[in-house]
Amino acid sequence: MALLPPAFLLLALLAGILPSGTGARAGTGLSVLGFLLSLAAVLARARPATLTLPLGPPSLPLHLALDALSAGFLVLVLASAACVITVEGHGADEPAAVRAGAACIAGVLLILLAGDGMTLAIGLAIACAAIWLDPAQPQPAALLIPLALLAATSLLTPAGFAPRFDTIRAAPPEVMEGTGGALLGVAGVGALIALPLGFRSPMRDALHAGMLLPAALFTLLRLVLDVSAAAGQPLWGEAMMLVGGVIAVCQGWIAGAARDVDVAAGALARCQAGLAMAGCGLALRCRLADLPAGAADALAGVLLLTMGGLAATLVTLASHRLAAGAGAYRLSRLGGLLGLMPATAAAASGGLLALSCVPSSLGFAAVWMLLRAVIAAPRTGGLPSQCVLALTAAAIAAAAALAATATLRLAGIVLLSRPRTPQAAAARDIRGPPRTVLMGLSGVVAAIGVLPIPALSLLARPVLQELAGTAAGFDGSAVGSGTGYQPLPVAALLGLCIGLALLVRFWRRREARPASAWLDGRQPPFGLPFGDPAAQAAGRGFVPAVPRLPLRLPRWPALPAWRWRLPQTGLWLILLGAAACLMVLAVGE
Amino acid sequence: MSLLLALLAQALHVGLMLLAAPLLAGVESWLTGRLAGLRGTPPWQPMHEMARLWRKSPISQDNLTAVSAIAPAGELGLALAAAALVPSFATGMALSPLADLLVIAGLLAAGRLVPALAAFDLGTAPAGVRAQDAARLGVPAEAALILVVVALGLMAGGFGTDQVVTQQQDGLMQPAAALVVALAAMLALALAEASQPDPHELLFNGPDLAIALLAGWLRRLVWIDLISALFLPFGMSTVAAGPLGWLLGVLAWAAKLFFFLSGFAAVQTALGRIPRHSLPDLLGVAALLGLLAAIIVLASTSAV
Repeated sequence: MALLPPAFLLLALLAGILPSGTGARAGTGLSVLGFLLSLAAVLARARPATLTLPLGPPSLPLHLALDALSAGFLVLVLASAACVITVEGHGADEPAAVRAGAACIAGVLLILLAGDGMTLAIGLAIACAAIWLDPAQPQPAALLIPLALLAATSLLTPAGFAPRFDTIRAAPPEVMEGTGGALLGVAGVGALIALPLGFRSPMRDALHAGMLLPAALFTLLRLVLDVSAAAGQPLWGEAMMLVGGVIAVCQGWIAGAARDVDVAAGALARCQAGLAMAGCGLALRCRLADLPAGAADALAGVLLLTMGGLAATLVTLASHRLAAGAGAYRLSRLGGLLGLMPATAAAASGGLLALSCVPSSLGFAAVWMLLRAVIAAPRTGGLPSQCVLALTAAAIAAAAALAATATLRLAGIVLLSRPRTPQAAAARDIRGPPRTVLMGLSGVVAAIGVLPIPALSLLARPVLQELAGTAAGFDGSAVGSGTGYQPLPVAALLGLCIGLALLVRFWRRREARPASAWLDGRQPPFGLPFGDPAAQAAGRGFVPAVPRLPLRLPRWPALPAWRWRLPQTGLWLILLGAAACLMVLAVGE
Repeated sequence: MSLLLALLAQALHVGLMLLAAPLLAGVESWLTGRLAGLRGTPPWQPMHEMARLWRKSPISQDNLTAVSAIAPAGELGLALAAAALVPSFATGMALSPLADLLVIAGLLAAGRLVPALAAFDLGTAPAGVRAQDAARLGVPAEAALILVVVALGLMAGGFGTDQVVTQQQDGLMQPAAALVVALAAMLALALAEASQPDPHELLFNGPDLAIALLAGWLRRLVWIDLISALFLPFGMSTVAAGPLGWLLGVLAWAAKLFFFLSGFAAVQTALGRIPRHSLPDLLGVAALLGLLAAIIVLASTSAV
């Protein structure tokens, strides 16, 4: 496994000179190899292992570590990576896509295998650079995130020691330093989740949804619930609950209001990640109060939402393919793609169903676990803490409702109705390996939705045991102990009821009288054979409008314009110097 | 033997719900007419309407997909599944292990999505705009319902429907203030659900419309049954009580249904149908009441 990050980095460096198709095939092959290795490690319940790399200064060598937590995340991330490279790694822009993909995968692998804060920061820097430093529209502000998390790790490390995770486990930080580090970590991970790309790139969108978001959740679990849990404070959990809840609600609202299909799909993925962040906070609260059942429920919800990263990857890939086929990303210019691109539309429907939080879907199982953790959470800390818990429940409820509406909007406007433009009417379905990958992903997320417990038992049981202190209640078919949610019987009941209704409906078939496509009596206007776009639902008005604040803010006085500007290079030098000073202070005391 | 009784009770419950759904709509319109001083339509009018629609020939359009063909049956199936899980005259039925309040809320939310998908499949402007409005109203409605369920779960210690009903019957659902606030939220949600215009006549015709109307009536019955089971479980029997206990449970259930119908009809006659522009405010109030109920439970049971 330790050879995979440098292999992907080498692939990124050579992407420009490899023959057409070779880079994508090499990337897919490496991802599949890594997936199989990590799956073998998970199934065999491999023992934790560490590796010290002869890189870096003598007092700060890099460390890699593989344990149950990282192995489980590696399986999900590498599966997403293989799918993304197969679908988006070919085409006219192949060298740039393979370069970005390979670099991002290398960075994420370093994050998941990191044994110390420096390796974690290097992995984050590579991954953030691959995602946000597009040559046409670079967003260098994203590189502040690795610095923030490096600073967080340094604060969590006891004075005089290198920022290794096993050092932090052995000697938990003091209250002030620990709280500072945890809050900085929460802020960094929150920024990693919520920061939008700002430009359109199918490969980067899919990598962000399928790899970077799970890596962000892994970072949070590693820093706050794993290495520094012994010094944990309720404030850390409350911060995660609030930040995660705000992200989930905001991204859910964006998913329901965005005008472009790829922006809506990306927002749905970030909404799930926000819910998972809130779940991490719930898990920490329960663990600190010695409530292993509640912590297990919350962590199970987090892990199910992380598995939902596969559904987010599927929806992102399918949305780009649908838009490419129809020639537009704007929702008001799509439509009727269910009949024109049936395979892609079916795969997209499977992914949207998994994210929609309806019974027997993956999203519903995760939300159920989180709400069960809410009712099992400790009732301590006074009224402010209880209000935070209630607000978290409200955020989960609002995010679930917004996600359901957003998926309805995407399915209804993009896949159903009539084509709104001639380009959409001429859409052709994808073929070959990308089609197989999308259909396979759709089947996998549907299977996880009706069988969440076997999926958790297979991939995450050691993680639950390690982080929550118990995995009891995840042995049977019901989610959670006692009278729980039983996805398979509920799906069977739904199938039975809908089947009975269909049987009754088609018992006495009668020949239907055909009518024209314009049943409402109005013929399409002259010159607009696809109908007047202004007369069809265009995807606006699905979510309640954000109320305007009745306050009128005072006008600030105009500040004098800066006469001089710091060169951008100088700004980065200052930031890097500050980070280096922080490291030296942390190590040298 | 107990399994047989549970299965029998479940079958009886589903049959009662299917029979009561159109009757409920008929009685409601009759009551509304009588309270307004009119003669009122006969209570069995919806059944005549369904029979008439069933005999009509359906009309199809060439641009419709399988979604439009399956949507009426899907909506009825979802409503039937929710109806099977909400207890009416007895607890401990065959499907009670699956009867989870969050699952019921999810099924009701999914039932709202299906007609919207059919509206988008149809592609016409009025249907699409109405589906958009319904989706926008569904956001606060679903959030409010989940918050009420969380408040009840906090009081009962779980989401099981039978668990909540049994604790309510034993008077263990505390504090009572939270229960009253949650009941107010549920009544507001039910009123808002009843005040929304019926989209089915724009979407379906013939037998499909008959099935969709039955699904809509069944959803309304599920709402009333849910409120009566969670907050007024008086007279509800258990499966082990036998046929006599079930009969008493059915009589109590019918009395509660009539009480709720009378209340709804009186409110609609006195205040009129809630205007469409006020529905978002009503649903927002319901969501806030659900949040308040959760805060009251947490604050009353918290330790400093």
